Amino acid sequence: MLYVVLLFLVVSFFLYVLLGGADFGAGIVELFSSVDNQKPIKKTVYNVMGPVWEANHIWIIILIVILWIAFPETYNVIVVYLHIPLTLALLGITLRGAAFIFRHYDAIKGQSQKLYDSLFRIACLITPIFLGMSFGALVTGDIKLLERNPDLGFYDAYVHPWFQAFPIAIGCFFAALCSFLAAVFLIGEANADEKKMYIKKATVAIISVVVLGTIVLIIGFVQKRDFVLDFISDVYAIAAVGISALLLIPLWKTIRNGNVVWCRFLAGFQIALILFAAAIVHFPMVIQTASGRLDFMQNIAPESVINVLGISLIIGGLLILPGLFHLLKSFRMIKALEQDH
Amino acid sequence: MDNLDAARLQMAFTLMFHIVFACIGMVMPFFMVISHYKWLKTKKEVYLTLTKAWQKGVAIFFVTGAVSGTALSFELGLLWPTFMKHAGPIIGMPFSLEGAAFFIEAVAIGFYLYGWKNLNPKFHWWTGVIIGVSGVASGILVVSANSWMNAPSGFDYINGQFTNIDPVKALLNPAWFTQALHMVLAAFASTGFAVAGIHAYQVYKGNNRLVHEKAFHIAIIFGGIAALLQPLSGDLSAKDVAKRQPVKLAAMEAHYHTEKGVPLFIGGIVNEKSESVTHKIEIPKALSFLAFGDFDAEVKGLSDFPKDERPPVAIPHYAFQIMVTMGGIMAFSALAYFISVRKRNWWDRKWFWLVFAILTPVGYIALEAGWVVTEVGRQPWIIHNVMRTKDAVTPMPGMIYSFWFYVFLYSILTATVIWLMRRQIKVLNATG
Repeated sequence: MLYVVLLFLVVSFFLYVLLGGADFGAGIVELFSSVDNQKPIKKTVYNVMGPVWEANHIWIIILIVILWIAFPETYNVIVVYLHIPLTLALLGITLRGAAFIFRHYDAIKGQSQKLYDSLFRIACLITPIFLGMSFGALVTGDIKLLERNPDLGFYDAYVHPWFQAFPIAIGCFFAALCSFLAAVFLIGEANADEKKMYIKKATVAIISVVVLGTIVLIIGFVQKRDFVLDFISDVYAIAAVGISALLLIPLWKTIRNGNVVWCRFLAGFQIALILFAAAIVHFPMVIQTASGRLDFMQNIAPESVINVLGISLIIGGLLILPGLFHLLKSFRMIKALEQDH
Repeated sequence: MDNLDAARLQMAFTLMFHIVFACIGMVMPFFMVISHYKWLKTKKEVYLTLTKAWQKGVAIFFVTGAVSGTALSFELGLLWPTFMKHAGPIIGMPFSLEGAAFFIEAVAIGFYLYGWKNLNPKFHWWTGVIIGVSGVASGILVVSANSWMNAPSGFDYINGQFTNIDPVKALLNPAWFTQALHMVLAAFASTGFAVAGIHAYQVYKGNNRLVHEKAFHIAIIFGGIAALLQPLSGDLSAKDVAKRQPVKLAAMEAHYHTEKGVPLFIGGIVNEKSESVTHKIEIPKALSFLAFGDFDAEVKGLSDFPKDERPPVAIPHYAFQIMVTMGGIMAFSALAYFISVRKRNWWDRKWFWLVFAILTPVGYIALEAGWVVTEVGRQPWIIHNVMRTKDAVTPMPGMIYSFWFYVFLYSILTATVIWLMRRQIKVLNATG
């Protein structure tokens, strides 16, 4: 059952990055667009993401719940030492969700729309940055456990681990990944006129991903972060990132040819490769503290808990996935199905 | 204020908001599908207008409920990491099932909101029913996790270690049924009265009477039935608490000294220092009867418990009085409504609508007061007789800033939601 639980954990993490990430990315793309372009983007985003926009964000709740039930030690470290960036990410999630519904469900469409729009866009930018920073803090290696350092000051314990160049760079990198996903996703939904614009956006997003990714590696290398040093000497990680980079060529071709199914599949696969590379370096020692790595698979919940969790997840999955699939199909969100007809 | 109090305040504050949003999100879908059903059956335009107006309300409250719920799933860990480290695995089952129920609700709401044009009308209507059913299921599951804190079960606690964990037993802990029943009825009663009240006010003002009157009747029938059933469920809860958490019952009733044939206090001012209650009305032997079904039963008083295991007394006592008063008012008004169905000329009187308009907030006041009773009454424990709240709180200092941050954020959200609702009503009135 442990493997079932792990599978659900990995799948919900991946789906949150992919779907939630694309949602955040849509707001980021909107934020960095000219006023003329913002209107059509807003409309497209609403049309395609409306029906699923809340479902996309439930993956993070599933993720958190699995973490706290099955991996309480890891969860405990995360919530104690990353209290501040997680609270800020939460602020972003709250404002984004609220602003989305406000801007589409306000009975009177007036001046207030401007406020909702900027709130939505800014929240879409800061949330992935703080989520990325939180992940960054876990691999930076500056988390000092209070059990070992009882006299630690506030700044050293709760701020320094995430508020420094390396995790911030990872946060920005993640935001760029989100905008990349959104831009590729939106290409498939746009009409001919808008398509050109989204292709431009996708190009900018790809460039930012590459540039920010390089910055992450340079900072990590200069600061001698174990994560980066081990990353560049890990064959699998390098291979995964290399393949992901090479896939940009077919991605580019599919975008040009208007092959929506393949370009989405490729973009998703690229993200999966990058996540795989980041996870494989130290797995299962995901969290790197100042005093060593924490084994993710140690101190897990007792077997009885894992079994019940596994069964609940399977039942939940059997109930949810057909519904979700049908939802996506009904609103023509799975392009592969449409082309069959 | 110390860190613990700030963290408790923050939790209380965010839960206070979430509970209202969540109740509306749980109950309004039922009103919506009734109206929708009538539209499908009668094809009267007024029901379509109403369904669409309520659907917007459902969407707005679903989202505010969802984001404030996401916030809580973070906060549980951020504020109470030690609690979650030990209790998380034990009460994981209701939370994982709740996650599933919530997911189903989100999928159903996607279908419902966006499915007016291209879904089969019957299928479309059923997705609305699923929103409501899965919402109620979510509510029951979350309350089950809370009731576990009152009636911890499904584990052995040996030398500070939680062993032999049985998640199913923890889910079906001894308090889950009474608490879940009380909460579901409370959700229907409070939301029924609130929605009915808002529409009653519009009838009172003479706006688009056709729509608002229909809306009022749908909401008040749900709210009224729940309000009439609630005292029975309250009785079950009281008897359960008397058995399992006698110290909580003693605090609710401000009952200090163990006696037989104990009177029930109505009102009264609690003096926690001198351990006395003044200015109260006493009903002889009533507490013994309500708690144990026997006028001469012995009821344990607070002084039987060590000082460091007693909850605050004044807060639960006052909150309990408020809850019962509001509940009584609602049950009484519900009765009045069902009489008015026979005496329809009441509906032509302005005062009828004014009374129900004034009753808009009573359900939520009762709801919040009830949660204060159960949560403050559980102190100083976060897990009854197992873990103290002060041992569960985050080691991170400065929680008071976090508290103010949440106050600021939630106040803005609430103000915006109220403003949006007013705009919805404005537009709805313009259609008539």
